[in-house]
Amino acid sequence: MTDTPAEIIRPSVTDLNRPFWEGCNAGVLRMQACLPAGHLRYPVSDACPTCLSPDFEWRELSGEGDILSAVMFKRSYNKAYEAQVPYNVVLVQLAEGPRMFSNVVPLSSDPLPAGTRVHVIFDRITDDVVLPRFAPVK
Amino acid sequence: MLRQGHHGIAAAERGTSKKGTRALAWSKASIAGVGASRQGKLPGETPISLATEALRAALEDSGIAKEEIDGLLTMPGTTSPEGPKHYLALGEHLGIDPAFTGSLSMGGATAGALVQQAAMAIATGMATVVACVFGDTARTGGNKFDSASGRGDSWGIWGMFGNAANSALGAKRHMDLYGTTSEQLGWVAVTARKHARLNPNATMQDPMTVEDHQSSRPIVDPLRLLDCCIISDGAVAIIVTTPERARDARKPAVSIWGMGQGHTLQNLGTPEWWYLPHQADCISRSYRMAGVGPRDIDVAQLYDNFTISVLFWLEHAGFVPRGEAGPFVEGGERITFGGELPINTAGGNLSESYMQGWLHIVEGVRQIRGEAGPRQVEGAEVCLVTGRGMILNTASCLVLGAGS
Repeated sequence: MTDTPAEIIRPSVTDLNRPFWEGCNAGVLRMQACLPAGHLRYPVSDACPTCLSPDFEWRELSGEGDILSAVMFKRSYNKAYEAQVPYNVVLVQLAEGPRMFSNVVPLSSDPLPAGTRVHVIFDRITDDVVLPRFAPVK
Repeated sequence: MLRQGHHGIAAAERGTSKKGTRALAWSKASIAGVGASRQGKLPGETPISLATEALRAALEDSGIAKEEIDGLLTMPGTTSPEGPKHYLALGEHLGIDPAFTGSLSMGGATAGALVQQAAMAIATGMATVVACVFGDTARTGGNKFDSASGRGDSWGIWGMFGNAANSALGAKRHMDLYGTTSEQLGWVAVTARKHARLNPNATMQDPMTVEDHQSSRPIVDPLRLLDCCIISDGAVAIIVTTPERARDARKPAVSIWGMGQGHTLQNLGTPEWWYLPHQADCISRSYRMAGVGPRDIDVAQLYDNFTISVLFWLEHAGFVPRGEAGPFVEGGERITFGGELPINTAGGNLSESYMQGWLHIVEGVRQIRGEAGPRQVEGAEVCLVTGRGMILNTASCLVLGAGS
């Protein structure tokens, strides 16, 4: 568990994205797989961007991926992250196809080079908020 | 320094003869007038008051009367309260009841995209004189450049905020894959400043060195303060008309030889989103319409919200192969006067004023007219102008050429 900032940005949990956030709480990274197309999509959406079908199932991912790019915020843009500066933000290419923004723990660690293999960890930042973040594969 | 296989061209090869090229160009609309308001920090002004000042200047530049305007296309400023109804407010203020109008918000791609809409309206006969107008008070009026991007709540949760971070991601990956350095980015900023110092209307006039760039404070690493564009108040207007009407205007006509757009509207959904693949499509479409290639371009105005953007454009426009823009800009000689490809000759978003690409078109027009004074690229007949906007999503391009 990283230091808890005084003010955090909470995920806006909806009926549609609840399984994603509940998965994080349970230690599982899951995303939507389109039933007709098989396409795995992220961010959470009510339709498949390849075939527009609304039919999907939640699929558990391996949590493995690699760094597409990583940057270090050296100034504050938002109170929720003010105390964390400097902190990294990474764009992760997940093994199963989707890409997502996240952080590498600890947040103060230097940006990892592109191609570094990482795996998901689940960072409990408050009693009810668990964020998927990443750590380098040893 | 440069690896083998670069497409760089000696300055002497340029401007040999564009006659064959000109015959292939689209050229069904021309730019007859450009104008800008004062730029910089302008307390007390509004986007609309500045837009009015810019339109007066553009009409004066063209010699065309306000009564001839039958098209009005607008881009709301970041501080404009009207949103998509901006054209209504501006039309009322300017006293124009047009045959053709609308507002568009594509960030830095809007200027080019609106000139394109104007050109299409003119080519179809829907309008004959279209004023394209933008005004903003981002400097004094507050702006939203620092907010979280992305759909819903997905980005800010991880601390992903502001416009610099998107470009920083592209810069870092370019560095990781191709060995591009922060000093090379510095040469883009230094060259922009050198050019701004030849432009009395540029807001940034202090000299800058690569050392200044390297010692400027980090913002979102690897981007530093001097990798970022400035934030400005100001306005720009551009008058687009028929080739015939442009021929009778006060200044030499500048023809739209070709134009194009490209967009990656999916962010995380596009594997190479960080590299902005749509920008290469946008430029190749424009080249095709103009009947030109990178070797025909005498001068380029490349949208520079951040220094790294210029490197991407140089690769997307075919001036250098992928990954080789860093060495190309190093030292600055190739991208300044007398070099292979002078770029951003008025100082760009980095040092002239952040008019979201509108001034890039103005400078393109001035270069083709030959009226850029101490910063004139000798014999410039063809200028590439590019714009990009939103979260690395949108791109527009104009190939401007001499003649109507």
